[in-house]
Amino acid sequence: MPSAAPIIDVAPAADAGSAPGTAPRPLSSKIVVKALDFYYREYHALKNVSLEIPERQITAIIGPSGCGKSTLLRVFNRIYSVYAGLEATGEVLLDGENILNSHYSLNRLRTRVGMVFQKAVPFPLTIFENVAFGLRHHFRLSRGQMEDRVEKALREAALWDEVKDKLQTSALGLSGGQQQRLCIARAVALRPQVLLLDEPTSALDPIATGRIEQLLSELQRDYTIVIVTHNMQQAARVSAYTAYMYLGEMVEFGSTAELFTRPQRRQTEDYITGRFG
Amino acid sequence: MQAPRRLILRRRASNLVSKVLGTAATLFGLSWLAWILIVTLINGARALSFRIFTDITPPPGADGGLANALVGSALMSLLGVLIGAPIGIAAGTYLAEFAERRPVWRESIRFINDILLSAPSIVLGLFVYTIYVRQVGHFSGFAGGLALALIVLPVVVRTTDETLRLVPNMMREAALSLGIPRWKVTVQVLYRAALPGILTGVLLGLARITGETAPLLFTALNNQFWSRNLDGPTASVPVVIFQFAMSPYDAWHSLAWAGAFVVTMVVLVLSVGARAFLLKNRMDSNA
Repeated sequence: MPSAAPIIDVAPAADAGSAPGTAPRPLSSKIVVKALDFYYREYHALKNVSLEIPERQITAIIGPSGCGKSTLLRVFNRIYSVYAGLEATGEVLLDGENILNSHYSLNRLRTRVGMVFQKAVPFPLTIFENVAFGLRHHFRLSRGQMEDRVEKALREAALWDEVKDKLQTSALGLSGGQQQRLCIARAVALRPQVLLLDEPTSALDPIATGRIEQLLSELQRDYTIVIVTHNMQQAARVSAYTAYMYLGEMVEFGSTAELFTRPQRRQTEDYITGRFG
Repeated sequence: MQAPRRLILRRRASNLVSKVLGTAATLFGLSWLAWILIVTLINGARALSFRIFTDITPPPGADGGLANALVGSALMSLLGVLIGAPIGIAAGTYLAEFAERRPVWRESIRFINDILLSAPSIVLGLFVYTIYVRQVGHFSGFAGGLALALIVLPVVVRTTDETLRLVPNMMREAALSLGIPRWKVTVQVLYRAALPGILTGVLLGLARITGETAPLLFTALNNQFWSRNLDGPTASVPVVIFQFAMSPYDAWHSLAWAGAFVVTMVVLVLSVGARAFLLKNRMDSNA
């Protein structure tokens, strides 16, 4: 690629007059967020956030620490609801259905929306069982089917060749980068439609990071990917769309090329050029 | 930059003084333990013989062993762990995993559990005497096991609660984000991560009740002969030690020493083993 623009499959058409918070819409939206507010007890963590996440693309959420980017991500599979005192109001539509509706089953939501965390947390089980764990709960599979699904997931996560001879050993013996790919395998094994990644490479060295980023660009063929990162270069490298958040507000959302080369907002420009203040 | 010479000397002096005082305090504390262990080992080893493990407690003036007391102790301790550990693990799990939305309630239970943890064991014995022995009308090994269970319970509640809380939240979230219900996450993932700690708690509980005398005095009482079953008075090593050591007979004294030796060794091996196991697992998981 000769141009300075990041590698993007489909260069999204830039909508010159787009107001902040509204994305250009060349593709269908997988997740539509409308007027989302989020509270940690009294603390107002997300303020009237709206955005549309396009299907089968990588969308990056960037912003300084504490801006609410992880909080937003954690609304998408309602993992926040594990804790007392956290509340989200507004609408988050996944394929048109509001997942914040208490009738929307968590079970159904989480098989559709997988998540990978900042630090790889393999379960204290074998490599095989780590991937099979979710499958066992959600599906009745024969031994052969299970082995196929586990292999497929590990291949998707580009880990199969490294672990195929030691599937029955503990997952805790893998390197950090391998553990993170195992977590991706564990998530994709359930064949979700959306994959959420919360700073997935912040604990990894550059080589392992490169592998994960390459993997993400392969996975976007099948999955809608949302990645939270505090690394702007990473957002520029992997994503087609980028959202910039600050103090709980969605400052700007648009195609990554646009946002990094011609930001609409002064705040965004200050942040991406490092003149943040 | 060099500090003035006088200042250096003063620092060295105060360093030396605190070192000496600290070491002396440690040695003072440890010396009593060493004394007890050495006396028990010397007298116990002298009294130890194979008959301890084969013969029952003798009447005054005859030869005998501690077999009935050893078996009674083993059975009642086992019963105590079998009753106390599962309830303790369940309660500890509730505190760590399922009481999130009721913080006041949860902290109250933790506080009450800590009180139970430090309750004098004779009070627990009297409690079981009142609610069980008095009701059925006779002392029994079951009552003894129940009293011991009350000692195991708070130990296991606390260690289970604490080790589960040490499991990183991210592991809970990772498992929950696969759409797996909370109870299954707890049983299949968190228990596995917390297993060394939970097992250590159970072993420490077992070590604690192996040497308990007071809760058995009002519950299992004692038995000079073999107990047919646990539904009658049952002998235990600590109570036999208590009884024989207070007696005027030399043969009984020597058996009491032997019993003290055996109990001390069992408790030592259990608690050192439990801690070593925990330490090894901590180091393995850090590696």
